[in-house]
Amino acid sequence: MEIQLTINGKAGTYEVAKTESLLDVLRRNGYTGTNRACDTGSCGMCRVLADGEPRESCVLPAVKADGMEIETVEGLGSQDDLHPVQEAFIENSASQCGFCTPGMIMTAVGLLRENPDPSEDEVRDALDAVICRCTGYKKIVEAVLDAAERMQGTKVAADGGLVDPNTEDL
Amino acid sequence: MSQQPLRKPETEPDDSTEPEAAPSEPEFDVVSSDEPKMDAKKFVTGDVKYTADYEYEFQTLATGKIIRSEIAHGYVTDIDTSAAEEMDGVYAVLTPWSDEIPDQLYTSAGQSYMEPSPYDMKALREKVRYVGDPIAAVAAKDKETADRAARAIQVEYEELEPLLDYRRSMDEDAPQLFDPNEVENKQPGNDYERNLEMHLDGEIGDVEAAFEEAERREDMVVVEGEYEAQYQSHALPEPHTTIVYRNEDNRYHVISSTQVPNHVRRMLAQLFDVPIGDIRVTKPALGSGFGGKQTLLLEPVAWALHVAADRPVKIEVSRREEFQAMRFRREATVRVKTAATTDGDIVATDFETLANSGAYGPHGLTVTSAIGTKPLPMYPRVPNVRFSADAVHTNKPVPGAQRGYGNPQGTWALESHLDEVAHAIDMDPVEFRERNHAEEGDIDEISAITAGEGVKQIIQSCGFAEAIEKGRDAIGYDNIEQPVADHLHRGIGVALTKQGSGVAGDELSAAQIKMNEDGTFVLLTGAVDIGSGAVSAMARIAAEELGVKATDIVVESADTDTTPHDYGTYASSTTYISGNAVLEAAKDIKKRIKFWGRKMLEAPEGNLVLQDGKVVNEGTGNSVTLEAIGYESIYGEDEREHIMGQGSFSTDISPSPYGAQFVDVTVDERTGEYEINKLVQALDVGTAIDPGMAEGQIEGAEMMALEYATRELLTFDDDGNPEVAGFRDYPHPRASEMPPMETILVEPHDPTGPFGAKSVGEVPTNPLPPALANAIRNAVGVRIPDLPITAEKIKAELDAQGE
Repeated sequence: MEIQLTINGKAGTYEVAKTESLLDVLRRNGYTGTNRACDTGSCGMCRVLADGEPRESCVLPAVKADGMEIETVEGLGSQDDLHPVQEAFIENSASQCGFCTPGMIMTAVGLLRENPDPSEDEVRDALDAVICRCTGYKKIVEAVLDAAERMQGTKVAADGGLVDPNTEDL
Repeated sequence: MSQQPLRKPETEPDDSTEPEAAPSEPEFDVVSSDEPKMDAKKFVTGDVKYTADYEYEFQTLATGKIIRSEIAHGYVTDIDTSAAEEMDGVYAVLTPWSDEIPDQLYTSAGQSYMEPSPYDMKALREKVRYVGDPIAAVAAKDKETADRAARAIQVEYEELEPLLDYRRSMDEDAPQLFDPNEVENKQPGNDYERNLEMHLDGEIGDVEAAFEEAERREDMVVVEGEYEAQYQSHALPEPHTTIVYRNEDNRYHVISSTQVPNHVRRMLAQLFDVPIGDIRVTKPALGSGFGGKQTLLLEPVAWALHVAADRPVKIEVSRREEFQAMRFRREATVRVKTAATTDGDIVATDFETLANSGAYGPHGLTVTSAIGTKPLPMYPRVPNVRFSADAVHTNKPVPGAQRGYGNPQGTWALESHLDEVAHAIDMDPVEFRERNHAEEGDIDEISAITAGEGVKQIIQSCGFAEAIEKGRDAIGYDNIEQPVADHLHRGIGVALTKQGSGVAGDELSAAQIKMNEDGTFVLLTGAVDIGSGAVSAMARIAAEELGVKATDIVVESADTDTTPHDYGTYASSTTYISGNAVLEAAKDIKKRIKFWGRKMLEAPEGNLVLQDGKVVNEGTGNSVTLEAIGYESIYGEDEREHIMGQGSFSTDISPSPYGAQFVDVTVDERTGEYEINKLVQALDVGTAIDPGMAEGQIEGAEMMALEYATRELLTFDDDGNPEVAGFRDYPHPRASEMPPMETILVEPHDPTGPFGAKSVGEVPTNPLPPALANAIRNAVGVRIPDLPITAEKIKAELDAQGE
């Protein structure tokens, strides 16, 4: 069957099977930045933003995602133009094997949109949804707190994305 | 008569290899800088490619699925594959009797040739020895079809009594898992009629005599204890994944999530009887390994399926398979007995280990012997040491290599026990360790006490003293305040840790480096980055030597066709072994760069150095850029050369990183519940090539150790069925559950390491469980000798104490 998805701002029609998850559809269509780790919705590594909410894409049936706006790590920033959360993950050595990193980053982006100045406890509570095996979480938490600081002074555009207040009027 | 404690020798014995003199305060440009990991951008943008990401490059790719035993022990008597074979989109169905399955025994242990592990398994198995043993496989057009086909396969079994308690494995009436004729490459001391995979022992001095004397003397004590450690899953983020296909040159290409590409290539060649040169193994980015991917696990089945289906095949295991049928840290019991003087000198240690090898023997000998040979040399001057190790089989999942490699179990026992020895002589546990721990110049004979891995060596760098001092300050050891409430008690515990840097005497890595026209470089290294930033570390080492930035070096790694040999990433080998090979290659190319520099500078005299992308004549100050050299060497008028270098490194030694873990805990005496207030780990890693990544390794290891120390991990029912099927059942720590952590790097310069580096990957995994148990002992006076440390156990001990 066909569904409509807007992935990282690009609207499209996708042919999907009834049994497929959003993760299956994303990966099959080239969005392999989102990783499959448990396929049961219990580790958070495959998290994406669906209509702005962090969701485990491995247990979100593709047919139920019909009409949703999906944001994946690929839409956040490129290697030549990184998002502040991505920059903060790099500078704080917060990514080791990197397999959980997209889920962590999308969860952090979701959190910081809701709560631009979170406490450490609030960051930890938000990240509880995502398992990391490598870091002991310390550097990831530090990265998210650092990202919040980096994003101070930036504003949220009408589409939910970030704009630099120095270059664009709202 | 036993020997008295040895002191540090006055002079080093002359059979030692004299280390090069190290600069007292090394200064580096690239190494140790706080620049981020060179290749970090691809990890945060999703551009990085793991094995599963390659499946989309194959239009005809089939999905493979393994059908696993539902019983713990027995024979497969019949497999009805007819329904599966008739399904649309099913390309191949294999059973133990299929032609594509080699009638040959092998080990899954990804070790160097010839593996110190018994050849006791086949790719698919008629005799099954645990719930999860692979017995059949399918390849189908997609995952859904493969799953449906797998469910349609009917297996009939003849069941045998399962053996589940490893402490019973050698009992006369215990079920026998292996006929001795079913095993090749048997390991020392084996007795398969008693389920004994291997036995090793060794002795230094005269332990019996030392204990007899200690029993007689009033100024000595003898303390005994028994400690138990549990199973642990690697809980790898990226499930084990393998793709096998024939490429356009009709060669086999295996893309695999492995820590050991070269071992995988050799073992597949051996198993399927094809020339090594016909196989290429590549390792994409790895969603961590921790030893769980030091194996030949899915590759044989994927290989056989791709032959049967005549198309590319991918197998990506499920999370349930990860928790039930991959590899694990093994259960073990250690009985330990120590004699010490009341002044605090350890005179004798007897250390007896029994470990559960589960259903098969990969890594059984080496891990089980490491339970003693890795922690015991923390105290190398103990004059009388005896160690024995037994690895026995049960019908439980297969343990293999896991971060620490036996050391977490051994350190759990030794560091818990030594705390009791300190208490017995009424000495502060830190002071007791300070009297006995290793120091620079000590001779470590204990590592070589058995015929397992490990050699006698002189300790050339040791940061124990500094790590203890800094850790002690950071945790506030000398001024802890007790909580106001009477039922709460606070205590601090300490435990020491050491590991190695590679398998002593059994490592090889090689590297090649070539210079581009613009003075940048391409480094080809066998080093296998399993998520720790090894690629970046290799670039830093080469860049430091060549006076350029790490980003001036492109790294190609872990491809058996194009990169030089490397045994792979295990035993904390990469920074030290692969790093030394890279340094050798950089030194080699430096000679050619200087040759061209001298020629272009027209400077027959004067010392040339490489710095800031230039060759500088120290005498005249004249310089020429590497870019000018690059163009001249490749496009010059009179003489041309592609400037290249190579290096190869192997060694008989394995320098140890050393460290100290401190745990601050508050225990509620009414319930036994405890809260960890703070963790401090101070670790001597030698020079930290990348301090940020080194700290991250330590913090991640502490989390893994916290899980091991405090939570019951893998459970089984009475028939041997595993009860953990996913992250919902496995109590993986979450971000809000981690106590505050302080990480301290202590960096003595090891004279044999690349720019003084040793290792960091495994050593921080060992000491937290005993440090926590020791903190609880310190707080409320009870000793928990078996993992995990639970409130129920503490409460029961407190109740028993009160009676």
